Amino acid sequence: MIDVLIGAIVWSNLLVLLALGLTMTYITTGVPNFAQASFAIVGSYIALTLLRLIGLNPYLSIPVTFILGGILGISTYYIALKPLIKRKASIEMLMIATLAWDLILFGIIGAYSEVLSAITKKTETLFVFTSLDFNIYGIPGRLVVSSLLVLLTILGLYLLLYKTKFGIALRASMENPSLAEAMGINVENTRLFSWFLSGALACMAGSVLPYLQEIIPQTGYFIVVSIFAASIVGGLYHIVGALVGGYIIGVSESLFTYILSILLGPGVLVYSKVISLLMMIVTILLHPRGITGTEMWRRVERWLNL
Amino acid sequence: MEKLNSGYGKLQILFDIDLEVPKGEITTIVGPNGSGKSTFLKSLFGLTDIYSGRVTYEGRDITYTPPHEKTKMGISYLPQTNNVFTNLTVRENLRIAGYILNGDELEERINFALEVFPELRGILDRKAGSLSGGQRQMLAMATALVRKTRILMLDEPTAQLSPKLAQVIFDKIVELRDNYDITPILVEQNAKRALEISDVGYMFVSGRVAYGGSAKSLLNHEKFQSYFLGVVGIEEC
Ligand SMILES: Nc1ncnc2c1ncn2[C@@H]1O[C@H](COP(=O)(O)OP(=O)(O)O)[C@@H](O)[C@H]1O
Ligand SMILES: [Mg+2]
Repeated sequence: MIDVLIGAIVWSNLLVLLALGLTMTYITTGVPNFAQASFAIVGSYIALTLLRLIGLNPYLSIPVTFILGGILGISTYYIALKPLIKRKASIEMLMIATLAWDLILFGIIGAYSEVLSAITKKTETLFVFTSLDFNIYGIPGRLVVSSLLVLLTILGLYLLLYKTKFGIALRASMENPSLAEAMGINVENTRLFSWFLSGALACMAGSVLPYLQEIIPQTGYFIVVSIFAASIVGGLYHIVGALVGGYIIGVSESLFTYILSILLGPGVLVYSKVISLLMMIVTILLHPRGITGTEMWRRVERWLNL
Repeated sequence: MEKLNSGYGKLQILFDIDLEVPKGEITTIVGPNGSGKSTFLKSLFGLTDIYSGRVTYEGRDITYTPPHEKTKMGISYLPQTNNVFTNLTVRENLRIAGYILNGDELEERINFALEVFPELRGILDRKAGSLSGGQRQMLAMATALVRKTRILMLDEPTAQLSPKLAQVIFDKIVELRDNYDITPILVEQNAKRALEISDVGYMFVSGRVAYGGSAKSLLNHEKFQSYFLGVVGIEEC
């Protein structure tokens, strides 16, 4: 049972990191990025590569995955989206572009895993880091590291968004890009920044994910549902939504699966995404702006003077 | 501006607008709803499609100068709605207004804006979204002051304000002209009262200039009276 809880928190932490990026790029660029989960798997493979080739512990390679992930995020914006935005493409076209980009990444990941297998003479199309994890007084490293990453990310984002001029400009651009432009803010820079951060956080989460579950090149297709559910249930129009949604979806998925597997046997694990899908659909039908878009949330905010 | 033709995409709204804004005076544009007043301000600022004509500012052709460049030249445009960032505090709104300034200069400009709008001093840490209509309008005008505005375009700044508050805003506009060397361009539904504080008045009808001259002459003009007096009468009771 305690293992289930630990797994639930680690999974929620990673979902928060992944959903944060999805929400931020949605706010700045107006397009849901279907390649977000593949960003994470790219991160997993970067960590695996550094482990195999130079023996670097995946936790220690996080700064590298962070930066490479940022570059991946910016490339996504520049290559897949910006040319279309310039030609005034509709939101549907942009969505299809991210879907296409996702397929490209999937292809690259698949091919790369074969290449890596050939180099290392191991099967790299399926791997885990679980045996590499450390332990502090019985607390597994993945719990410590993923929680630290979320805390650092939130603290960093808070300081950036509320205490720096660039951050205020970023919030201004998110709320009203044309007014921000009129104030002399380069809104394009804020967009680039959101894509950098989105890719960076996703790859970072991806380098921790193999401590929690097996990675195969198709893993992205399983987790993309959870990421979207987290962002949508929390509210796609509010950065804090990713935080709220990440924990709700992460914990519900883990506990739901656990209970079902006790009742019906381990075969049900495959269906763990049903709960996320359901919660996402209910949110879209009943309150498309998610939890952070409700009047009650606004009252909480006012009360906290946020 | 000369013979300005503009609109949105293929939809032309303004036709052959000839209009001059004298420096240091208040120019007010009145006209019925949908006559293109807002579109006119947007065209000046560069937010519409301009098909022909010219806009000049101090001898420079700025017809196709992008909005953020105009901001740097000292031209500000405050739209009718969404003219402040509601998720940001008053202080943050003022800081972001001076985004292009460096630290010391920014502080100096914010202090200056707060001298003109001392009403904002007590609410610096409130979110702009929680302000009253009058406070919000003052904040919007203060942000323009932070940016060292020379020309201040205001789209219906007194809409939805009580007559008393509207008068406060009008007084501020006069103060900006008299004490701070700013040239306000005003679009108003509160036509009569706006023209009373103005120097120059234009009346738009269906995207064309129906009348242009001194504000006093427009107030007394028969076209103006036939269009507006009934409406103004209702507004003032
Ligand atoms: N963004 C827009 N796209 C297309 N048409 C618009 C847009 N904004 C205003 N219009 C049209 O332009 C005309 C003039 O509107 P506007 O300039 O707002 O008039 P006013 O401010 O005098 O009430 C109206 O017919 C309006 O429907
Ligand atoms: Mg208007």
